[in-house]
Amino acid sequence: MALKKHGAKFDIFTKIAIVAVIAIISLLIVVPVLSILFESTKPSGTNVFKSVLSNPVIRQTIKNTVWLGISVGFIGTLVGFILAYIQVRVNFRGKKLLHILTLVPLVSPPFAFATAVIVLFGRSGIISHDLLGKTPMLYGYPGLVIVLGASYFPVAYLNLVGMMRSLDPAIDEAASSLGANKFRIFRTVTLPLLIPGITSSFLLLFVEAIADLANPLVIGGDYMVLSSRAYIAINGEYDVSAGAAYSAILLLPALLVFIVQRYWSQKKSVVSVTGKPTGQIAPIKSKIGKIPLLVFGWSVALFIVLIYVSVLLGAFIKILGVNNTFTLDHYRYIFSGIANNALKSTVFMASIATPLAGFMGMVMAWLIIRKLKRGADALDFFGMLGIAVPGTVLGIGYAVTFNEPLKIAGHTVIPQLAGGGAIFGGALAIMMVYTIRSSPAGQRSGIAALQQIDPSLDEASASLGASGGRTFRKVSLPLIKGAYLTGLMFAFARSMTTLSPVLFIATPETPILTQKILAESDSGRYGPAFALCTLLIVIVLIVMGIITAAVRGRGSTEFKTTLVAG
Amino acid sequence: MTSGRLELKGLVKEFGKGQEIVRAVDDLSLVIEPGEFVTFLGPSGCGKTTTLRMIAGFETPTKGAILLDGSDVTSLTPDKRPMGMVFQSYALFPHMTVAENISYGLKVQKLGDAEIQRRVSDVLAAMSLDNLANRAPNQLSGGQQQRVALARAMVVEPKVLLFDEPLSNLDAKLRGQMRAEIRSIQQRLGITSIFVTHDQDEAMSVSDRIVVMKNAIVQQVGSPTDIYRHPNSVFVADFIGRSNFLEVTDVKSSAAGTADVTALGKSFSVPAHDGAKSGNALLLVRPESITVSRQPIPGKISGEGKVKTVIYYGEHVEYTITTSTGEIVATTSDPGSDEILAVGENASFSFEANRAWLLPKA
Ligand SMILES: Nc1ncnc2c1ncn2[C@@H]1O[C@H](COP(=O)(O)OP(=O)(O)O)[C@@H](O)[C@H]1O
Ligand SMILES: [Mg+2]
Repeated sequence: MALKKHGAKFDIFTKIAIVAVIAIISLLIVVPVLSILFESTKPSGTNVFKSVLSNPVIRQTIKNTVWLGISVGFIGTLVGFILAYIQVRVNFRGKKLLHILTLVPLVSPPFAFATAVIVLFGRSGIISHDLLGKTPMLYGYPGLVIVLGASYFPVAYLNLVGMMRSLDPAIDEAASSLGANKFRIFRTVTLPLLIPGITSSFLLLFVEAIADLANPLVIGGDYMVLSSRAYIAINGEYDVSAGAAYSAILLLPALLVFIVQRYWSQKKSVVSVTGKPTGQIAPIKSKIGKIPLLVFGWSVALFIVLIYVSVLLGAFIKILGVNNTFTLDHYRYIFSGIANNALKSTVFMASIATPLAGFMGMVMAWLIIRKLKRGADALDFFGMLGIAVPGTVLGIGYAVTFNEPLKIAGHTVIPQLAGGGAIFGGALAIMMVYTIRSSPAGQRSGIAALQQIDPSLDEASASLGASGGRTFRKVSLPLIKGAYLTGLMFAFARSMTTLSPVLFIATPETPILTQKILAESDSGRYGPAFALCTLLIVIVLIVMGIITAAVRGRGSTEFKTTLVAG
Repeated sequence: MTSGRLELKGLVKEFGKGQEIVRAVDDLSLVIEPGEFVTFLGPSGCGKTTTLRMIAGFETPTKGAILLDGSDVTSLTPDKRPMGMVFQSYALFPHMTVAENISYGLKVQKLGDAEIQRRVSDVLAAMSLDNLANRAPNQLSGGQQQRVALARAMVVEPKVLLFDEPLSNLDAKLRGQMRAEIRSIQQRLGITSIFVTHDQDEAMSVSDRIVVMKNAIVQQVGSPTDIYRHPNSVFVADFIGRSNFLEVTDVKSSAAGTADVTALGKSFSVPAHDGAKSGNALLLVRPESITVSRQPIPGKISGEGKVKTVIYYGEHVEYTITTSTGEIVATTSDPGSDEILAVGENASFSFEANRAWLLPKA
């Protein structure tokens, strides 16, 4: 952050913004996380900690979690790497299509994957049972790795594509002119230069994998991991302290990775040393290299297509694979009861939370880049916590914090926000979760946008006598509107598809679509689950379409930054 | 050194396809002798880099052939060609130290450790990089990075060294220093070198021969003096240094390489390009060939005008003179303070006929 900032004297708007932002972050993320830590120190919580070493069941759960994280991190990064490599280094027809297909899993409910995989490859799956006549051991570890790997590898892909594109092609050429063949260049130059990207992708996927709750519930079988263990503790054993303890254990690696990542990205990688990259990296021409890569890339794409086609089809077919007759029953079923309310309340809450999150993210970005000197880093850190803290942990934190009114000295400071009997049927807590989960994307894209805008524009406005608020509204905001809108788009998609935190605070009065999908597929009603998934995807796509249309013509760089940040 | 003879035969390079074809290099033929330093010079986008990249093997020619010491290398990949390249961005391996960067090519050749060690320390010493051997590239200054890039390319003893605007990222002073250094190393080792630049000073100061390009086509090939003194077109004259073009009439071919012309109301004989003798020609006079004074200088060709601007640089004075045939730029060196004319003064400008050059108009 080398940009110049204003002096330390803040005007009233800036002061209000700082105070408001700190209050919101404290309430929405810091307090819930601290509550977990506090709750976990109660007896049944400390029991969990104490037995980490002695109790083989807990030890196995931790081992499972770590092993799952490592497997998904490894496989997802590998698949992401290969697809990124194809995208950057191979010329072929349909490159753009492959890119889009690769990104599809990013913007859809991840357990759509799990459900579809069960239907296709599960015990009585269409492919596994009907076509191959085998019953694979899908439930548990293998299924989780497949589903989580497929859901999250696009994160690694985006990360690595960006990094590969930023490599100076001349570096490859230099190696080549020194006599190194393609394979040697890959081994001695390309790969070592990508190590930071590979490691960070691995860590990101590791965290995503261990933080995920929906998939372990749907497809995890007996393979117990910390998140599902915490869920059982709270929703099955009603032992909040134990649940808090499990999530505290989960929080540790997640925060660690988050901090390491921040440290790295601030250190700036060694990749670009001098000069501007010129020209393009020579594409791979040899058939021996090209064909296996393309076969692999399109297989992955085919798998993704297969999954989504079965989701779409499954919604219109009696029982996919068993009774393949066309039906509208599933839709009739979901609209007759479960979907109406869930649809209404989910869209309603997401629509409220999304602009709030976007606005919050932008204000954060503006404060971080333009206003604060000291404290900018800290504010950025806390602002990003909403995404760094695993959803399961966040949900439990909310349950612990807001399921009862917050009282100080006998006076109710904050009424009960979450759970049965809460004000607005617990909707407030859910919107808070949506907001804090989504604002980091707005913050990132806002920062990226602001860093490209000359701060002298702000200063010019200020020197003309405009107040801080006016400067933000009239100068900064219009300039970052494109980023703001794309940020919103992903915020909305994220809210609509969020599940893990919501599971702990959803109430009968405010049903949530994702939670309904889980309930349906959990009880084996895959048709309705698919119908709900389709519904969800359609809504997300419509909103994305609207926002994209609004942003069109603003240049796609902002869109990409948001993609990466989101 | 007797090897390193490079022959470019009718090279053509086209980019894109269908309607969008861009011809980056058009029918380029040239023989570069062993040990020669040849510079491709031309405005940005004229196809210099593309030519160099075809020689290196990074681009495949659309047509034509490249021969190195008589054998066809056109279809060889870069790693199979005994050529070293120095890039505009230096392209040092950021994850390796200076010594590792330099030894990269030697390791590829599978030389013994002792041999590698010896050659690396030799080249480090030669390039005065000894004390930087264990630094990472991002801990070096631009000039040092440049040296490492050069050392890395040289240490593998290539038959041809290729440079793509290697000095454009350096500041002016360092640029002068480095080009002298490159030239002296090149001459010491006698490596055939091909240099690409858009900077005419750079080209003039290092090259045995200069290839001037424009719009993918070679305009002229010649020694620096040739190109400067005897350009074959208005474009080349203008691109290399500054030019005054005088209208001429009554062009008549006289002895070999000369023509009789009438300009500024006088008839005289000047050195001439063959293509200019037919008549449609301009007379090139370089600013430094022109002396501005109050009185015409006897024995020189001279004209009259009015001083429009005067810029005093110390070592020389630069005048713009308004004349009946347009504006003329003249630099008069070593001016005495009482000899400097003022704006608005009437001035004579004079030059020697044998310093002028008659070239074709179009
Ligand atoms: N990879 C490429 N694809 C398409 N056009 C190219 C490519 N490389 C160069 N060109 C075009 O070829 C022409 C010559 O480029 P170049 O050789 O880089 O010029 P120079 O080095 O003289 O500035 C330019 O018009 C440029 O746009
Ligand atoms: Mg160039």
